[in-house]
Amino acid sequence: MAGNFPLPFFRYMIEVENLSKTYSGFRAVQGISFHVDKGEIVGFLGPNGAGKSTTMKVLAGYLPPTDGKIRIAGYDVVTDSIEVRKRIGYMPENVPLYTDMRVTEFLRFRAELKKVARRKIKERVEQVKERTSLKDVENKIIGTLSKGYRQRVGLADAMVHDPDLLILDEPTIGLDPNQIRAVRDLIKDLGKHHTILLSTHILSEVELTCSRVLVINRGRIEASDTPANLTKLVRGGGSILLEVKASGADVVAQMKALPDVEDVEVLLPGDDGWSHVKIFAKPGVDIREKVYDVVRKNNWLLRELARVKATLEEAFVELTQE
Amino acid sequence: MAFWTLYKREFSSYFQSAVAYIVLFGSALIQGASFIILVRMVMDANYKQQSVMQIFFNWPIFWFLLIVQVPLTTMRVFSEEFKLGTIEMLLTAPVTEWEVVLAKFFGALSFFLILWTPVAIDIGLLQLFSNPRPPLYWDQIGLTALTVTLSGAFYVSLGVFGSVLTKNQIIAAVLCFSFVLAFFFISLWKYVQHIDATTLGWIQYVSLPEHLQNAVIGIFDTRPVVFYITATTFVLLVTKTILEGRRLRG
Repeated sequence: MAGNFPLPFFRYMIEVENLSKTYSGFRAVQGISFHVDKGEIVGFLGPNGAGKSTTMKVLAGYLPPTDGKIRIAGYDVVTDSIEVRKRIGYMPENVPLYTDMRVTEFLRFRAELKKVARRKIKERVEQVKERTSLKDVENKIIGTLSKGYRQRVGLADAMVHDPDLLILDEPTIGLDPNQIRAVRDLIKDLGKHHTILLSTHILSEVELTCSRVLVINRGRIEASDTPANLTKLVRGGGSILLEVKASGADVVAQMKALPDVEDVEVLLPGDDGWSHVKIFAKPGVDIREKVYDVVRKNNWLLRELARVKATLEEAFVELTQE
Repeated sequence: MAFWTLYKREFSSYFQSAVAYIVLFGSALIQGASFIILVRMVMDANYKQQSVMQIFFNWPIFWFLLIVQVPLTTMRVFSEEFKLGTIEMLLTAPVTEWEVVLAKFFGALSFFLILWTPVAIDIGLLQLFSNPRPPLYWDQIGLTALTVTLSGAFYVSLGVFGSVLTKNQIIAAVLCFSFVLAFFFISLWKYVQHIDATTLGWIQYVSLPEHLQNAVIGIFDTRPVVFYITATTFVLLVTKTILEGRRLRG
């Protein structure tokens, strides 16, 4: 294996350049590039089949890239695969586990396999059981555990060797809301000392845990930004809800005349003389004052004037729909 | 070392499933029963040409056991990992494909050898309860054990190879069964039709019955030793390459 020297300095925890992955003619990932800094918690978003899991499998060293270069903690995933794998805690989708083993036995086995020093194995296993609240099932056979517990065993396995980077493929899928909250808190806590790349479908989770979001669709990166910035980018970002006593057509005409207004939509034609409209401004421009000026000049009665923040869900839909 | 960790897991996993105990029980029962029958036969007929060991390792029950034991021992080694998806977890740990293949092979071989320990116990019991004691020929016993171990290694490697090809345990078992059966039939060939000396030489080179016939009477032949070691190594090498390829193809 080439270049087995430890590389003390590396710029990014994950560095992906032009990664492509083709499965029997189907290009699952098409030349994506991104990087993740040390200490970041990055959310990987995208519809099913977008290439999230494939990318994660390549990063974890399970699948080789068809093309492109990937460095993790300064090591190349292809040529220094073993070094990379020592530094990664990977939790695959659906958390495959040896169902015939007991929880503690399994975690000890994994710790040994991941080259945790012999005298530290017991301590590490106890620590991760503590952190993932597995203490009460430690002697149970994994096959008899519920989905929630199995998920936690997978998480405990991923972190048992105290890796620099955690790659978690849908860590909260199939959990109940309480468990989701517990896992989310755990991830936030882990993020203090580890770099984390996680994929999920639950957008509120990303908003709460991640410092950055990568949106991937049909094998390409569509966006890479903080959750807050992403929501600003979309059409609905910073739109304004207005309810005044005036005819709908009149309101639309007046509002459209304002600078920076892109579109005006009548939501509910009020039969009692009220009009409810949604005004879309250019991304990042606050037009509330101007709207109020118009209302005042026309002497309309005002019942609502509010800015609507776009949700990440809207951003997701806008970025990933055709 | 990762090999040792994996080996311990492989070997102990046999004792966590009921199948293993059933196979072990069945083997012990058949081996014990054949042993008793053979001892009685030898005693009743006052048969002096062959020892119990000689007959035991040359009669069809031995082959029957071998053909059933090896697939049952090896069918799950890779197939189960593919089916459960645990292979992904296994190969994203810092282990090499070689370590995985060797651990699975030696784990299966160890269990296979455990399946043959009842014969040793039978021989021991015969010593304990006979008066006068029948003679023990250690060179014959040693050579037989060596031949069973080496041929077992080869057949187990074929089973491991069968298992790496599919995620279906039944298919893996059938593949292994066919491989072992193929070698059995090759050795029967000479009884079916006349074959020339060159071909016969080749057949004898790979035929376990021939090897055992020599071993049980204490003839040490290095050719089978070389054959089994090289063949096993080759099959394991192919298995490792397929495992890599399987992962590389996704």
